[in-house]
Amino acid sequence: MRKFISILLLAGFVFYFATLAGGLMIPSSSADRKSVGLEILSRAKGETGAANAVTSVVVLYRGFDTLGEVTVLFLAALGISVFMKGTGEKRKTVLDQSFILKTGSRLLFPLMFLFGIYIIAHGHLTPGGGFPGGVIIATGFFVILLTSESVHFNKTVMSVLEGLAGLSFIGLGVVGLLGPGNSFLQNFLPLGKFDTVFSAGIIPLIYAVVGIKVGAELSSVVYAMKESK
Amino acid sequence: MTILGDIFILIGSLFLFLGSLGIFRMPDVYNRLQAGTKATTMGAMSLILGVGFLNTGFLVKSIVIVLFIVLTNPISSSTIARASHKSGVPLVKKSVVDVCKDNVKKGEV
Repeated sequence: MRKFISILLLAGFVFYFATLAGGLMIPSSSADRKSVGLEILSRAKGETGAANAVTSVVVLYRGFDTLGEVTVLFLAALGISVFMKGTGEKRKTVLDQSFILKTGSRLLFPLMFLFGIYIIAHGHLTPGGGFPGGVIIATGFFVILLTSESVHFNKTVMSVLEGLAGLSFIGLGVVGLLGPGNSFLQNFLPLGKFDTVFSAGIIPLIYAVVGIKVGAELSSVVYAMKESK
Repeated sequence: MTILGDIFILIGSLFLFLGSLGIFRMPDVYNRLQAGTKATTMGAMSLILGVGFLNTGFLVKSIVIVLFIVLTNPISSSTIARASHKSGVPLVKKSVVDVCKDNVKKGEV
């Protein structure tokens, strides 16, 4: 079994470096690479309605890849929570934080939550989006978990939220598949007025879903780290 | 508005300069924290406000950022100071009073 796994790993590495070397050997001029970016810049506004061209690439042109990224993050979170489970005993943490820190973190938590939501909701207009916004929300949870020992949140709610978010990401993609565009994650909503919050079709929806998923996942990771022995 | 913004930015950069000077000149951790936090809080606040005045579309956001700095910066410095006091970082010899130590003895902290 062990031999088999090491051979598998070795084969994976060889394949990886072979593709890397292959990519380096095939010449591609800088003009070629530039033309891709210029093409996206000229087409993104009309096709996706997103003011942030990077977002239009991440969510629509290569939305399938983003789904893969979300899956990778899910697997990482799963791995951490399994790894951190350990003996199953809950650790009793005795925190000796000052009154200032406790009060301050309680004051800060809703603000950080709000800021995360802001980042998520403006993903198609400004740099940011679902991933950074979700991380900011999880940071809020991190701060509050570090500073007060009496905080507990419901793990089931978190996993249900996470699962629903992942499911709705795929659901949005399937609706695009059935719609007029006839391809996975195709935009099916009206593009709206350019450069406003309610624009760019399904991009804000997908980013909201991604934000919920990332926020719930990373918060559970932080919680698992605190609980584990 | 432009003049106001310039004045704010000037005040802010002055405070930031004094704060960085204080970090080099002060004798121990607590004094350095004092210089590093008070001066940078004030400096960053007026610098960001000045940017907001210069670019009025950014004013509301800059006020929010200033509020955030007011909330976080003193808390973090107090936490660092408390942690270093608890882990036994000594005060500079010239110090005359250590209120925190007295309070620990009395059991108030």
